[in-house]
Amino acid sequence: MTAHTESSTFRLARAAILAVLIAVTPAPSVVRAQAAGAVVGAKAGEDPVTTLFREAEQLYDAKKYREALGKYVEVEQKAQEAEDMYKAVISFRKASCYYFMKDWPRTEAELTSFLAKFPKGTQDFFDADNRRGVAELTLIESFSNQGKWDAALVRLEKIRNSLTERVEVRVNAFALSAKISVDRAKSGTEEVKKAGYSQAIGFLQQAIGEGVNTPERREAAIQLVEIYTKLGLAKEAEQLKAKVDAFKTGSPADLIRSNFQLLSIGDARFTSADSAVDEAVRDTLYRQALASYQGTMRSAAVARDLAKAIKAKEEALEALTKANPKPNDETKVRIEQSKQDLEGFRKIDADFKANKDYDAFISYRIGLCLLELGRPWEAYVAFKDIFERNAGFSRITGAYYYYVITLRQMGRRDEAQKVCKEFLQKFPKADETSPVAITLGEISQDNEDYKEAINHYQWARDNVSNLSPDAAMELDFRIAACQFSQFEWDEARKAFDAFSAKYVRSPVRQQVLYMTALCWFYQGKYKETKEGFDKYQAEYPKGMFIPDVRYRQAIVRFGVQPPETEETIRMCEEWLKDYADDKSDEIQVQLPDVHTLVGDANIRLAEGFDKAIREADLVARAAQSPAARAQALAKKGEIEKQKEAFTGKAIDAYVAAAKLGMRNANALEFVLRELNKMLPGRGEHRRMRELYMELYNWDTKDPKALTYLYEVIRATERMGDRKEFGERSEEIQKKFSGELAKARLKVDQLERATPPVKASIDAAKNEVKALSAKLADELAVVEKERQAAIARAKDNALKILSDAVAENINDRRQEGAEKLIGFLAEKLAKKVKRVRPGTKPEPGAYTSADAEIEMRKLLRLDENKDSLVAQARGFYALGQIAVFTREPAKTELNFNKIAANYKADELSPTILAVVGDHLLEKGDLAKAETYFAAILTVARSSEYADYGYAGQAEIQMRRKKYKEALALCDEAIEARALMSKELNVMFIRAQCLAETQKYDEAKKGFEEIAKTKEWRGDKTAGSLFWLGMIEERQGRLPEALAFYRRCYQGWKRYESWSAKGYLGAARMLVKLNQRPDAKVLLTEMLSKDRIKETPEADEAKKLSLTL
Amino acid sequence: MRTLRTLLPAALLAVSASAQTFVIRNERWEVNDPFKMDTASMPPKPLVDPKKAIINQVTGSVQRTVLQSGIEVTNTRKLSEVTQVIWPEMPRLTEARAFVNRGDPAKALDNVEAVIKLFEPLKKVPGSLWLDATVIKLDALDRLNNDAALGGFLDTLEKDEAASLPELATKIQLSRLLQRSRRGDHESVIRETDELIGKMDDAGVLARLHIVKGSSLLATRKYEAAMNAYLRVPVFYGTEQDQVPKALLGAAQAFRGMDGPAVREQKLEETSFRYLRDILVTYPVSKEAEEARKILPKEEIAKAEAEQKKLATAGLLPDGAAIKKAAVRPEDDQSANR
Repeated sequence: MTAHTESSTFRLARAAILAVLIAVTPAPSVVRAQAAGAVVGAKAGEDPVTTLFREAEQLYDAKKYREALGKYVEVEQKAQEAEDMYKAVISFRKASCYYFMKDWPRTEAELTSFLAKFPKGTQDFFDADNRRGVAELTLIESFSNQGKWDAALVRLEKIRNSLTERVEVRVNAFALSAKISVDRAKSGTEEVKKAGYSQAIGFLQQAIGEGVNTPERREAAIQLVEIYTKLGLAKEAEQLKAKVDAFKTGSPADLIRSNFQLLSIGDARFTSADSAVDEAVRDTLYRQALASYQGTMRSAAVARDLAKAIKAKEEALEALTKANPKPNDETKVRIEQSKQDLEGFRKIDADFKANKDYDAFISYRIGLCLLELGRPWEAYVAFKDIFERNAGFSRITGAYYYYVITLRQMGRRDEAQKVCKEFLQKFPKADETSPVAITLGEISQDNEDYKEAINHYQWARDNVSNLSPDAAMELDFRIAACQFSQFEWDEARKAFDAFSAKYVRSPVRQQVLYMTALCWFYQGKYKETKEGFDKYQAEYPKGMFIPDVRYRQAIVRFGVQPPETEETIRMCEEWLKDYADDKSDEIQVQLPDVHTLVGDANIRLAEGFDKAIREADLVARAAQSPAARAQALAKKGEIEKQKEAFTGKAIDAYVAAAKLGMRNANALEFVLRELNKMLPGRGEHRRMRELYMELYNWDTKDPKALTYLYEVIRATERMGDRKEFGERSEEIQKKFSGELAKARLKVDQLERATPPVKASIDAAKNEVKALSAKLADELAVVEKERQAAIARAKDNALKILSDAVAENINDRRQEGAEKLIGFLAEKLAKKVKRVRPGTKPEPGAYTSADAEIEMRKLLRLDENKDSLVAQARGFYALGQIAVFTREPAKTELNFNKIAANYKADELSPTILAVVGDHLLEKGDLAKAETYFAAILTVARSSEYADYGYAGQAEIQMRRKKYKEALALCDEAIEARALMSKELNVMFIRAQCLAETQKYDEAKKGFEEIAKTKEWRGDKTAGSLFWLGMIEERQGRLPEALAFYRRCYQGWKRYESWSAKGYLGAARMLVKLNQRPDAKVLLTEMLSKDRIKETPEADEAKKLSLTL
Repeated sequence: MRTLRTLLPAALLAVSASAQTFVIRNERWEVNDPFKMDTASMPPKPLVDPKKAIINQVTGSVQRTVLQSGIEVTNTRKLSEVTQVIWPEMPRLTEARAFVNRGDPAKALDNVEAVIKLFEPLKKVPGSLWLDATVIKLDALDRLNNDAALGGFLDTLEKDEAASLPELATKIQLSRLLQRSRRGDHESVIRETDELIGKMDDAGVLARLHIVKGSSLLATRKYEAAMNAYLRVPVFYGTEQDQVPKALLGAAQAFRGMDGPAVREQKLEETSFRYLRDILVTYPVSKEAEEARKILPKEEIAKAEAEQKKLATAGLLPDGAAIKKAAVRPEDDQSANR
């Protein structure tokens, strides 16, 4: 983002205010009181020259300089014999008249003459000051006004270096020298300007060399602050400003000037930040600019200070006027000065009031700084302030634009789009319409809602009247790109073709050509695809899409008929040779795709041998002689070997794709599916395990990591059942099958012999038996080894699982830990040999107690004794084992331990939710409340937020705080935090509405629950009962009766509601004067076993007795 | 033509304003600071410069001994005759303010009470520190959350003639609002703060008003509005360093309230943690930092500490930020030897 150019209105307004301030604060004026006094006080009967001089002075006082000049010339001519002092006074006055008439050459001539002829100046005619100093400075000014910079500087140098000159005059000389240096350089080149500023800085630094403790020095310092600011030396400017501020008198003028300087420093820093390359420097500058803007007074404070200043000036003027009803000349000057000051402040006040943008600009700048500093939430507040308080801000459109950016950064996409639309409708002619129009659709496009994006782009195309040609082109391109993204290939291709025809020299031509070919590609039209990509390659041989085009050209070879599979592999290998070492994102993402294609091509080549294998097999089966059979089998083996070579290559390619697939989910999913079929079938469990272990270690906290871990465990378990056991068993069986056949044949032969010899038969039979036993023994040995290997593998698998759990067991926020614990609990529970309650398990059998011990060991709880959450997870794990072994008492015991020993803030969201629910079920509302409250404070965005809302709402409802419960339900709905607790929340909400007599709304809620099929069950029964209650409370007894009946007739399983339904129905019958029916119904109710123990049963008995 | 207009009186005033001075009948009396102690003596005694006047709180007077024609003459003036106080800095008040910020209001009260007592007879005199001290006391009582003590003090203040001082009146109003906010009178507090915000232009007061408003909005679960109110403090009144940590903590809590599965893409929990980390990094010894530590997970605290270390090394921490000292191991603790 670039810094926004500041509006000229703002700059001009501020400059005007500053100019007025500078004009009034050190206001230059001619001190002439004594001179005037001398004339006014002249005696009557004076000589004509004196009278003429008095007249001249009166005209001078009346600011009639031309007329006064005429009189002074006359006096000069008539008083040629006068003393030097008087001649000097006349000369000085003449020069003054020329000065006020802005006749610089004559001013220069007269003052040069004055300084040359009258070394004592006006002596003490006016006062102690002989006016030579003033004459010097004025002469310099006249030089300066005529562009005679060097002459001015020579004069100033004399003053600066004069040891006899007063310090204030010398300081002023430095300041004036600086001003001249800057003025002189103004029309020069950049180099000259730079040199001018540099010289000015030198002068001003000398002026303040001894501090800023006098007003003259402070003036010089302020001048220096301005030069520093102009040059972007914000740090120096701020430091010097702080020094000046330390001396400030507290006058409103000081405050206001200081305030505007601070604003200028902020601007200087902002501008520097915008052009800074180094990110750290940039941030620092933005932070400093922000601090300057934040320290700036707001308009209310400036206006207040101005009002104070004006009031003080008015009072001072009034006091001065009252105290001097007949002012002498000196007082007149003071009164005049006060009037000028007051006017000056009134002008500032008027100018300031006319500037309506002041506050908004500060907010705007603050917002921009915050946005640049990556603090969108604060920027949001700053921009919002503009809309709320300064809707007429001259840069309101810019504010909107940045507000949209801010909203996007905050993740508030819907709001951003709303603002975009509002902006486009409100400010159709604004400069920012084009980027805003694009942003409107871009938000949807980024959200992958392409249909909506197209609608927005199209809307902007049709409705935004002042789109720039570039923006119009971009919108057209984006529409086509969105069609492409939503797989509307035909539409997209047509749009791209139209785009190419319309914008022949478009900067996105390369992309358009590429995407057009892709449209053909995805439609499976390989001929057109090839033509498209060929065209692209011809036009852009080094184009940005070349790697992808080459890959897709390989796919085309794979897809054409007849397929060019070898060519595909060759092209892929070429591709890999050229790009495998390229670390760019695009290539890294594409690498798995290319490997996958290599795998696919090899699979196809391998499958090409299937027919030959089948034929060789048939030949072998049909072979008449063992030699022919052997030959056929040898051939088959040869072909199988060839096939195996390609299959092996394919597997290698898939494995390579999987290992590189971290950032290519599609390719990864595909190759894993293939490998999941191939590797276990080939008994390559170790390879499988290694692969998944690698994937698991990419990011153990990734949601998919659990799936990978599951595969690791499965492969590890399967590794135990090694192929060699099968082979060994087969070998043994083969070995014994011949011997057994022989032995059985012998038995058969002996039995058939006549006469059969029993002893021989028995002996032969015994031999068979012995052989069988031996076979069984040998097989048992193998099986034992196999089982031991499987057990070892299972132990290994458990260890892997245990390692994974142990890694996160101390991290409270790691929600995956509980999932793994559940997984582990399930595995251990499966090992438990379950027996009927009350029955003792067999000796040596694996019991749930063993599972608990093993769980403790696997979770390494002894190593994590200091970790509260690890220990709590231990109890949770034991509770989970009990869930799987169906031992509810143990589950309760372990959950109770958690509840008794841990504070809510020590537990993970899952445990808080599960145990919280458990506590709620047991009626421990206080404890459950702390758990649910903890979810709502520390785990609002977790998967268990719904437990928090539903649990808290239920607790409030049980405490009859229906308003609070309702608020929680509404909050949950608003926050869309319903998930698995949606039904609970809706049911509680409806109950609270009913309890607060909002029957219509409550009825709607219950009806919704009752009619939702997915929610059929306990809450359906409850809803029917509550619908009855609502009718009953409104006095509609038959309707109530109907609902109660539906409740107990349809939902007998849910005895608590069913009992309530019976009782309610009986009550209605009583009220409807159907007492016998009520009695019958109550008898029926009390005959139900499930209802007998409910509280409603007692009530029913009491009611029955009254009937 | 330029003339040299001098403002020497103002400059002189600025130069001489470095010592504790009472202006009495247009005379400038430099006075001894009663809180400056001679730590070399046991027990420490107040440091007395014989050239300066001594304030006698018991008699409500100030005495100065000067040499007139070689004779020592002691002049006594009543404190009620003081027309201006020039007291450039008061370390006790600075410390008290720091104690309030660090969440140690009891110590702040210890510091501030003596200052209030000292300036009691001068409460309405320009330059008096009574008002500053009183404002700090109100802040300390606010932090104590002791409504009875705060209420009692506010009642006394409201009856005091100084209650008409605009700054104090505003502060009393603010404390009352805070009290009501704590009692749960949120709706009216929100309404009144809104009205006051429209009328005020002082950055300090506005920052406090937004914090009061934010806390009431937070209590009524209007999280979005609370976030907006709190964040106005660091955005527009960032120079009010005392108030910023409170606002950041409030904003962090508001973000947590706004959080939910439906707004995951806004990463509100992460944002909340970021604000809490900001407190730890920039205001590590504040009361709010303690609160932030309670809320933040360990790894986030570690992150903040690393960030603070980095900033402190680079010298980028703002004024007033201090690094939390490393905990002293029991075996290294030498405090008992002092």
